[in-house]
Amino acid sequence: MPHPRAPSQATRRVASRCVPVLASLLLLGCRASDGLPNVMYLGMEVNPDEKIDANLRTDTRQRLGQLEDGYRQLHPNTRFQVSLYPEKQLAWVIQHRNRAGLGPDLLLLNGDTAVRLLKAGVIAPYPQTGVDLNQFGPQVLNRLRTPSGDLAGLPFLVQTQLACFNRRRLPAAPATLEQLLDTSAKGYPVGLTMEAYNLFWTVGSLGAVDAIDTAAAGRQPSGAQQQAIERWLTWLQNANSQQRVTFYASQSSAEAEFQAGRLDWFPCRSASIPRLRKALGDGLGVAPLPRGEGGDPSPINKLRVLALGTNTSHSSRERALAFSRFSVNPLSQRSLTLDSQVVLPANRFVGVPVSSSAVLSAMVTSAQQGHQTNTLAELMHSNDPRMAEIQTLLTTLVFGEMQPTTAGQSLVAILRNRP
Amino acid sequence: MRELLLEVLGWLGYLERPTVLLQLGVAIGLMVLRLFAARRNWLPRLRTQRYTPLALVVLAASCLLLALLGLPYGLSGQLGVLWLGWYGLNQLQPLLQRCLGAKTAQQLDSRLLRPGYLLLAALLLITTVDSISDLAVAPLGSVLGVPIDAGRLFNAALITYLVLVGSGPPAAGVAWLMQRALATSDGSRKALELMLRYAVVGLGLVAVGVHLGLNTTALIAVAGGLSVGLGFGIKEVFSNFISGLWLLFEGSVRPGEVLMVDGDPCEVRKLGLRATLLWRDRDNAELLIPNQTFFTEAATTYTASDRMRRSQVSIGAAYHHNPAEVITLLEATALEVARVLPQPAPKALLLNYGDSAINYCLRFWIANPMDNVGICSEVNQAIWRAFRDSSIEIPFPQHVEYSMQWPPERHHTNEFT
Repeated sequence: MPHPRAPSQATRRVASRCVPVLASLLLLGCRASDGLPNVMYLGMEVNPDEKIDANLRTDTRQRLGQLEDGYRQLHPNTRFQVSLYPEKQLAWVIQHRNRAGLGPDLLLLNGDTAVRLLKAGVIAPYPQTGVDLNQFGPQVLNRLRTPSGDLAGLPFLVQTQLACFNRRRLPAAPATLEQLLDTSAKGYPVGLTMEAYNLFWTVGSLGAVDAIDTAAAGRQPSGAQQQAIERWLTWLQNANSQQRVTFYASQSSAEAEFQAGRLDWFPCRSASIPRLRKALGDGLGVAPLPRGEGGDPSPINKLRVLALGTNTSHSSRERALAFSRFSVNPLSQRSLTLDSQVVLPANRFVGVPVSSSAVLSAMVTSAQQGHQTNTLAELMHSNDPRMAEIQTLLTTLVFGEMQPTTAGQSLVAILRNRP
Repeated sequence: MRELLLEVLGWLGYLERPTVLLQLGVAIGLMVLRLFAARRNWLPRLRTQRYTPLALVVLAASCLLLALLGLPYGLSGQLGVLWLGWYGLNQLQPLLQRCLGAKTAQQLDSRLLRPGYLLLAALLLITTVDSISDLAVAPLGSVLGVPIDAGRLFNAALITYLVLVGSGPPAAGVAWLMQRALATSDGSRKALELMLRYAVVGLGLVAVGVHLGLNTTALIAVAGGLSVGLGFGIKEVFSNFISGLWLLFEGSVRPGEVLMVDGDPCEVRKLGLRATLLWRDRDNAELLIPNQTFFTEAATTYTASDRMRRSQVSIGAAYHHNPAEVITLLEATALEVARVLPQPAPKALLLNYGDSAINYCLRFWIANPMDNVGICSEVNQAIWRAFRDSSIEIPFPQHVEYSMQWPPERHHTNEFT
């Protein structure tokens, strides 16, 4: 039998150099928290209107860092490993990681995404024992349940849609749709986005929420409801004919224009406030979205939830559950809201001091107005195939290629065609 | 940097999961097992080359079993696919050698295919444990006041590597097309290829700087500082680089040119950044001569305006032969040698009257200066045969010796009979 070859001198030399380097790296890792840490892998969904860049990475880690610090006081030696994923890639990536047994322990997702992933078996149902679900509104919890009654995740926080304006040019935000068009007529550039999800707030202001809900549920809207839809579509078409009103293809391009000072008013997401504040400083004004003759606006606010991964170890699962319970306790929720000023607590028993901050006040108003869209949010999630069709229809309408009456009928047909 | 390191070290936490350990154990265990089995020839009936496919089949079966048991199998499967790809690269090597030649295939394999594959494998594995787009924005520090993140640095390194390694074939292709279009010489083509390559590398490095967002003012300041360093420290290197560029533009030293170095004709093989590689036919030696040498010292070239060389051989004929006949014979003989050019016509000359012979030289033109020694030999042989056939004597040097008498009064001169 041939003798096994002894390692060559070169191999030994490489090994002798690598071992100290690896040992140093390990020691560096251990030094982070005095001993081998318990790592909790946290996957986070990034909304399409956000871009993964250094700013988002820093903001996210900073915001979570405060929560992590609090958790470490109870469970020292825990290290959080956060991975940000764009919404479009999230399901595929988590599925891929799960298949390898390397899925995250905990995920921070939008509510509708969580439900979709739970139905697809990508995440595990959240156990409904051991946590006080009474802290959350029943309607909120219903949005997170699958038809089988499983809970997709624990409500964590709410990101709202608001109106952002440049205080240096516009002294006050328009409170109604009429004032909004007047403002643009006076020479202040106004931006709107073509994304149906971000444009839906105008439905409430023009009184067409019920009509849309009826159609999305698969029923034919009444004559009055059909007229409300047409009124909404007519307003959109008229708005685009205004010289100073611009419709942008995406939320991010409208935001970039606002940051560059070429827009004085646009509907923004609360999550983007830190970025906007960096660009505009004290010049950034935040207000609720304008109401209209049909009533209050109907923003689609994003409920962020904490969901559980499928292939974590027993101890990791325990840590994930402990952290999620810690995150929704009133103290954590309150400090998260007050420190960040960009999210609202999901815990309904946490009071938000609206008098102390105009931003918090606007967010609370938006959250209340957003209740109008709860039914629609249950009927249509952001990845619903109907959304793409509605998007195309609205673009055709806004650019004058279709009459509001025809567009209204097509919209109802699209909404009624449930996948 | 610390943030990125901690994130990478954080991946070790996955080892806490039994399913991950199981998958790693299966895949790595099979790799180690295959290594030992091949070394110790555990399966004598199986050829060594078959061990890897066998191990891959076993790994695939293990993945299938894990899947049937409802356990994660993606990691071991991914390692198996990467192993299969590596095995495929090894199998591709002989095919590449047949198609491209051994040297090109080896360069393509070691410089592009294997590094590219390893990079792809690393990215795939990172995607499985973390978010690439998130890791890419991890801050590493700042250079000249510009924040650098992992993604930018990775892109910059990748672009630099690709530009350095991958600019050769496209530059060669464009140079070939230009040669076809302009009907230039091979030397010009090679010079153009080098210049294109330098231009691409230069532009690539500038693009990397721009991609990193480096401040041009800061870069100029650094360049100013470097110029002092260049003046004292690496001036020789820099001087050789600049000399190389100048020689390329000037066209005096290009690949394919023939230069005289220490009395030997040498062919320029490659004009590098620092030195020129020449090939000496006499002993098949390759000479590395700093570019600066050609820039500062006189050099003899046979290929500046054309590749013809005028060569010459010397011969002596006895005094009693008519020089006109000898000259005619020499010129006719030269024309009989195949590699001697008929035009310009060979020319024989009577040089001088020597001690024992009249000295002639025969001058003739050849097409390739590198063939000079061989053609001279052929011409000399032809002259020997021609002289023999025409009974022309090549005399030996003659010396007359006599003994001196002492005292000188007794000395008598030699008497001729």
